[in-house]
Amino acid sequence: MRLARAIPLALTVGATAAAAQERTRTNEITNGVGMEFVLIRPGSMVVGRFQPTCPTPPSGGPQRDPVDARARWTAEDYRRCEEMVKRDAMPGFTVRIDRPYYIGKYEVTQAEWRTVMGTNPSVFQGTKVEGDADRHPVDNVTWEDAQAFVSVLNATDTTARYRLPTEFEWEYAARAGAERDLTWAQINRQAQLALVDKGTTQPVGGKQPNAWGLYDTLGNVWEWVQDYYNEKLFADPTPPRAGTEHVLRGGSFLSDVKNTTYFTHAAGPGSGFDVGFRIVREVR
Amino acid sequence: MAVFMATWPCGILLPLVFGAGELSAQVGRIPEGFTPLFNGRDLSGWHVSRTTHHGTTPSVTVEDGAIVMRQRPYGQGGLLLTDRKYRNFELYLEAKPDWGTNGGVFFRSTEGGSAYQIELEGGGTGGTGSLIGEMLRISKSAKPADIGRVWKPDQWNSMRLRVVGDVPHVTLWVNGVRMWDVTEERNDLIADATEGMIALQLHWSATYTPVPDAFEMGESWKPGAAHRYRNIGIKELR
Repeated sequence: MRLARAIPLALTVGATAAAAQERTRTNEITNGVGMEFVLIRPGSMVVGRFQPTCPTPPSGGPQRDPVDARARWTAEDYRRCEEMVKRDAMPGFTVRIDRPYYIGKYEVTQAEWRTVMGTNPSVFQGTKVEGDADRHPVDNVTWEDAQAFVSVLNATDTTARYRLPTEFEWEYAARAGAERDLTWAQINRQAQLALVDKGTTQPVGGKQPNAWGLYDTLGNVWEWVQDYYNEKLFADPTPPRAGTEHVLRGGSFLSDVKNTTYFTHAAGPGSGFDVGFRIVREVR
Repeated sequence: MAVFMATWPCGILLPLVFGAGELSAQVGRIPEGFTPLFNGRDLSGWHVSRTTHHGTTPSVTVEDGAIVMRQRPYGQGGLLLTDRKYRNFELYLEAKPDWGTNGGVFFRSTEGGSAYQIELEGGGTGGTGSLIGEMLRISKSAKPADIGRVWKPDQWNSMRLRVVGDVPHVTLWVNGVRMWDVTEERNDLIADATEGMIALQLHWSATYTPVPDAFEMGESWKPGAAHRYRNIGIKELR
């Protein structure tokens, strides 16, 4: 059901009320807006591993029977490929997450945005989606818009501190302990992706969660994180202190399975209608 | 020999003789009345997509007055987008794709690369000149009857593309010869957009790390190969 009126949370729910409405379960907490968070415990992961591979002759790939011999790979092409793969491979680096944090179980929804901000900037609302858009992720938000949401939420609910996740917090939570990338079959079970036939965002939580109970970390909408973009394939051990764009993670309903992976280090501005976010609630 | 009639932008009906006389190949310069999209010196007016699945860090350089696109790092392609969006237009460009490659020219593209695409393969092989969707289901595709008769491998080839209407009516000429003329059955674009960017695509050929059930794309881009574009111009239409 769509909310009858858009009323900013700041006008309706004070800090005390927000705290009173919170529900806490083991490893999960729900705030006064109804946003659910999952506790993420400290640990470590290897970030930025890049190990592309060359085709094995004959690969049986799409050019196995090219119409012209000049399109076929020669022995020199295979040799050069091995050389380039060796040159470009990166072992990655270890990132330690030292402190626990809560992260949104879902992407921020349109209903949550409207409750907090009193508006709804989403493209996919009204007649643009089937059914009720309230449980769809908010879309068409800039990084600055996401910061504004966090700012209003913090001003309203002073019992907690909310913010965007850092890129490493996002990746650690999305990977949920996985060391290797998911298979494409696993990604398809978890992600709303490749909805190329007049596709739209989808209600949050419609696919399988990851191993730590988070939904839609892959697909549905790209998610803003706090960090500036370094214009490289993967993050650096230390994020840049300045930049022109911020990092986007996770892919969207309009992404391909190839980049709808928790390895992809993308950046704004994105396509607008497939860009949203989830937030972190710090552990006190 | 097939003879078609087509309306040129100026409204004059011109006979198009397929397979024989070409209107005018015009390779080597932008047609009169077109506005350059590429200044031949730098990438002003263009930017790299940071959200396409083909890759976010392609090598894009300007060499001898041409845009040259190569994978970087190995297996990761990319997408070079115009900063501006276009609705109805004629686009002219010249392309020279190396053998053993796959890319294309996008139009009405999103930042992430959901778009109508004119396929472009090295040597003019395969689907070169075909109208397909990229991260987009299109209602009607198109394919040249015999691209091999007009494409000149290892040379500059001109492409002239006309796009008109929210439900787009699309016409493609290669080296001055009309390849096809098609009107879609609907506006296929996501969120019913009616405009988008022009973009040059460089296909991916390897995942970040081995994925056991990934498509085998390894031979879709020869190591070190490039796609080159020059003399890119546009004429916006009502």
